[in-house]
Amino acid sequence: MASKVISATIRRTLTNPHGAFSRCRHLSTAAAATAVNYEDESILMKGVRISGRPLYLDMQATTPIDPRVFDAMNDSTIHEYGNPHSRTHMYGWEAENAVEVARIQVAKLIEASPKEIIFMSGATEANNTAVKGVMHFYKDTKKHVITTQTEHKCVLDSCRHLQQEGFEVTYLPVKTDGLVDLEMLKEAIRPDTGLVSIMAVNNEIGVVQPMEEIGRICKEHNVPFHTDAAQAIGKIPVDVKKWNVALMSMSAHKIYGPKGVGALYVRRRPRIRLEPLMNGGGQERGLRSGTGATQQIVGFGAACELAMKEMEYDEKWIKGLQERLLNGIREKLDGVVVNGSMDSRYVGNLNLSFAYVEGESLLMGLKEVAVSSGSACTSASLEPSYVLRALGVDEDMAHTSIRFGIGRFTTKEEIDKAVELTVKQVEKLREMSPLYEMVKEGIDIKNIQWSQH
Amino acid sequence: MVSRSEVLSLCRALLRAGRQYPDYNIREYTKRRTLDGFRMNKNLTDPSKVNEAFAEAKAQLMVAERVLKVYLAYPPKTKNIMEVKLQ
Repeated sequence: MASKVISATIRRTLTNPHGAFSRCRHLSTAAAATAVNYEDESILMKGVRISGRPLYLDMQATTPIDPRVFDAMNDSTIHEYGNPHSRTHMYGWEAENAVEVARIQVAKLIEASPKEIIFMSGATEANNTAVKGVMHFYKDTKKHVITTQTEHKCVLDSCRHLQQEGFEVTYLPVKTDGLVDLEMLKEAIRPDTGLVSIMAVNNEIGVVQPMEEIGRICKEHNVPFHTDAAQAIGKIPVDVKKWNVALMSMSAHKIYGPKGVGALYVRRRPRIRLEPLMNGGGQERGLRSGTGATQQIVGFGAACELAMKEMEYDEKWIKGLQERLLNGIREKLDGVVVNGSMDSRYVGNLNLSFAYVEGESLLMGLKEVAVSSGSACTSASLEPSYVLRALGVDEDMAHTSIRFGIGRFTTKEEIDKAVELTVKQVEKLREMSPLYEMVKEGIDIKNIQWSQH
Repeated sequence: MVSRSEVLSLCRALLRAGRQYPDYNIREYTKRRTLDGFRMNKNLTDPSKVNEAFAEAKAQLMVAERVLKVYLAYPPKTKNIMEVKLQ
């Protein structure tokens, strides 16, 4: 069947190679690996057969692009193709104008001035620039960085790189609900602390850190405060002045924008200085040289403006769906634990652990729901997520954690279906599990003396 | 000041455009957002505000119809599981 599709496509490409309206897509090897069976329309991919496209509940990994953002990008792609840094002709002026409009849109979302926004290729680049750039600039006087154990991998890896260069890094532990202990933060600050980096909303467990308090502590001790707000902007109200942040990383593809663009907010009053990561012609205030991706930036700006308008409406809708999901699962199952604080949480993120269930088999059974597990996004090994380990979650519970990401486009029916599928799979696995039988009989698993063979 | 029939026909046009999207999630979202959007502004009395809301909705209709043409030009290759089960 797949060979017929391939040969038909090849025939079509050979007879109409330059047709302006040809809709043929050259079959890559990856696409050829997906054999769509046209009779019953089930999909066979990577050895797994599913009856249709799974329902998408992984909004923390990325979000689908909003049609309104898509529309805003199209005109710019077709006509505004000039280099925004060309100063001599209209093509450059038009493209620059588009970038400046997007800059104003992004700045309005976080209550900053447009001159403080630097466009980058994503939140990872922004985090790298912030952490390494600040420390390299102040390397004569400041040698210490404070961050948490639950940060995103790019921040932790940048800190490890700094450690290899000779800086000292303190990784603050978090409480069992995922929030930073403010007393420990105060104690950890030293006279030679150059940066405090704490993410606003965690991508795995969804807890919202007490940003205003942390900002106040950093202001008292005169330490620059960097936050990774990729999961926070457009979802919770962000105000850089109230939070007293000096640097903030943002990403477009988490707020229904295009992938490949992000921004770094760099405060101008009082000025924070950085060493740029990308050297070159001095674009973007000298902090990020290189031609900006005009089309992506326009999409980012449109996504930010849209997020500002829709924030309240989306939050109300997503909160209702989160309650529906949690209550639906809790009604039918016991032994369900929510990882992270329930009070200080972004509503679209629900990270659940199911007791007495094996993690990998649960994920294999949930192929019709696109969710993420605690261990998958961090490493290729079978180690459970470092975030859950930092929360103090037991190894067996950390392995069975599932992260449900709810977004603007999720429907009630999708949530009901996700509840149904999860409950069915967990019940099936628990029925097979001898551990669960023992728990039902009242035996305490932790105090069993397993006999040695 | 726009008349009631104009508002209703705009709402119907938006719903009609939303219904044609091949993607399940966007289809459901346009229906929900249109109805909620019109319901939220139901009790506006100030003529300038009414005209402003009407103009915004009209702009959204133009966006929806334009984007619909592109989305229909690239139909999805696989059916969404929600549509398969609903059969």
